[in-house]
Amino acid sequence: MGHKLDEPVAVMAANRVVAASPAARTLGVIRGQLRRAAQGACPDLVVVQRDQAVEARCFEPVVASLDDLTPGIEVVRPGTCAFAMKGPARYFGGDTAVVDGVMHRMVEAVAGRTEVRIGVADGLFAAGLAARIANPVRLVEAGSVADFLAPMSVSVLERPDLVDVLVRLGVTTLGSFAALPPTSVIARFGSVGVEAHRLALGLDPRPPDSRPLPPDWTVATEIDPPANRVDQVAFRARGLAHQLHERLSHKGVSCVRVAIEAETEHGETLMRLWRHEGVLSAAAVADRVRWQLDGWLNGPAVARPSGGISRLALVPDEVVPAAGRQLGFWGGETEADERAARVAARLQGQLGIDSVMVPELRGGRDADQQVVLVSAATVELRGRSIDPSHREHAPWPGGLPCPSPARVHARPLAVELLDDSGSMVSVSGRGQVSARPVRLVSSGRSVGVSSWAGPWPVEERWWDPESHRRAARVQVLTADGQAHLVALEGGRWWITSTWD
Amino acid sequence: MTSSGSEAVALLGEAARLVTPMALAHEQTMPVLPVFEELLPGGAIRRGSVVEVQGIGATSLALSLAAGPSAAGSWTAIVGMPSVGLMAAGEAGVALNRVLMVSPPTPGSWAAVVAALIGSVDTIMVSGGQRAGSGDLRRISARLRERGSVLIRVGGSAAIGADVELRVTSCEWEGLGDGHGVLRHRHVKVEAGGRGASARPRSTEMLLPGPSGAAADPGPAPVVALPTAHRG
Repeated sequence: MGHKLDEPVAVMAANRVVAASPAARTLGVIRGQLRRAAQGACPDLVVVQRDQAVEARCFEPVVASLDDLTPGIEVVRPGTCAFAMKGPARYFGGDTAVVDGVMHRMVEAVAGRTEVRIGVADGLFAAGLAARIANPVRLVEAGSVADFLAPMSVSVLERPDLVDVLVRLGVTTLGSFAALPPTSVIARFGSVGVEAHRLALGLDPRPPDSRPLPPDWTVATEIDPPANRVDQVAFRARGLAHQLHERLSHKGVSCVRVAIEAETEHGETLMRLWRHEGVLSAAAVADRVRWQLDGWLNGPAVARPSGGISRLALVPDEVVPAAGRQLGFWGGETEADERAARVAARLQGQLGIDSVMVPELRGGRDADQQVVLVSAATVELRGRSIDPSHREHAPWPGGLPCPSPARVHARPLAVELLDDSGSMVSVSGRGQVSARPVRLVSSGRSVGVSSWAGPWPVEERWWDPESHRRAARVQVLTADGQAHLVALEGGRWWITSTWD
Repeated sequence: MTSSGSEAVALLGEAARLVTPMALAHEQTMPVLPVFEELLPGGAIRRGSVVEVQGIGATSLALSLAAGPSAAGSWTAIVGMPSVGLMAAGEAGVALNRVLMVSPPTPGSWAAVVAALIGSVDTIMVSGGQRAGSGDLRRISARLRERGSVLIRVGGSAAIGADVELRVTSCEWEGLGDGHGVLRHRHVKVEAGGRGASARPRSTEMLLPGPSGAAADPGPAPVVALPTAHRG
């Protein structure tokens, strides 16, 4: 998108890297990295926000150029597609012939806008890795896929939680991970571990299941009158995706590969397979349908269908048992956490990153120091717990006991604390008040002090002239029933907090 | 044959009764701390309602009210009230790990922010001083009823027709003397009114905040609370 190939460019979504140019990758920018970490690794990184609809629209003609080589090309994500080599290799006489054909067509379709890489290996995972390190073609011989994978780092598994544990256990390469006995892997890491272990061995993540899927799992809708605008069809597609999702969840399965089929009023049929590394949710299917329609209807004029779309069908092509997600019963992740995390993300998107904050406990003497607010984007809200240890275990001499004030003024209110004779109450170096406080005057309004206690002096960070703070605090209860903490600091009295 | 047939029918009827899903009344409400049970009809906050708290100590009252749902797993959003003492909120019983502090960028945008939060967060605290058009307010209360969140307005003047109004009518601090002591707890009288089921006036006395920071029953004898040994 207007950037040179040798420029370090990263595409971001939700503050994480989703794709990086080769130049950025050599500098250590990897997928899934936080924006800040990526910019740390590569300070002159060019950051582009992700737009998947544009990606899909640009990618559709590229995929379409391969349609005459083989049917059944599946789009893994915009930018990556895969197909089974067995059929075409036999037809064209060998892997090399197919790869040459693919390369020729791809280079033509891409027309120098980006580089083309092809990887051939047993299984989608190994082929993806082969393509990533290809220059520009990497063929992994049949049967040697385990040797190909063995020296790679476990981070290519793209399961950050699992990889983190593996690295700490000293298992850093796929080879050493694959060498672990499967029974130990399932005992320690559960089903996620088994999937990753199968990948490391060069197998498919799940044992193949060749049973054909019942045709009644397909969902379809007639569109009358035929529509030739993306939004018209996408609206129907959303309902269709939900229908598919509901039907599959009744059967206890979820979809990992879906075929999107469209028929035009002139009888043309268009079909494209989409795969997802995880499981396709209803929203994910709806997005993919929209991208695909965008690719078909807004693509280059030669490839565009001649009429409006009159029928749309979603065919689940490969399903796995739905694992679902177990929500926490006692604490842990709950549905409420999920909803709150979502609304926090949405508001931050609308209002800015600092508009939604969450509290964190810190040590301190005063209410304003004991809790700090951090941006909700920087913490995981689901299943969050706050460590109260700062408060429980560290003594803060000079801190005031419970209850804490219900209002902590971000900007302290300047007031006057007066004694009997109407002069300001002062505090001596020994921590004694000059006289009994009698009146509190705030913004011209004077109110009697009915009881008071203090002063409690604080002297903080005396070693640092910048943040050095010296204050004397007094609790006052005024005649109108308000209780305040007032502090003498810098020769003035301030209301810092109120027990409202 | 006839008798066993009628028995089977009776058994089936029994089984059907056992498995019938019921909309239980308490599913439409949110729990509150025990001290509030006398104040609210049914001893709980009804979902979808607007609660107004007034008087000196309104912030503590609002936090203690939010503490009940929060302890039961709900999230609390505090909108446009940056000065709320979160330490006090934690002591009142609000789970700080389920608190969102939201600051609308302009005074006019709070209604849109609140509307977005309704349904995603169970308890929403807003300042009573917020201004919004009557259309916004109608939309907010309709959305509250539909999605089942509770809006707590702290202080300010009545704007949305509140379902429940809580007012601190008298308060007295204990623990602070003339140059000695420290604020320990506050004895308050809270009166409740409102619309519908809440229309009958009720009142109760409580310690707000109590010696531990949480709202507590005043008890028969004056509570003597000792300050904790150390704290930070």
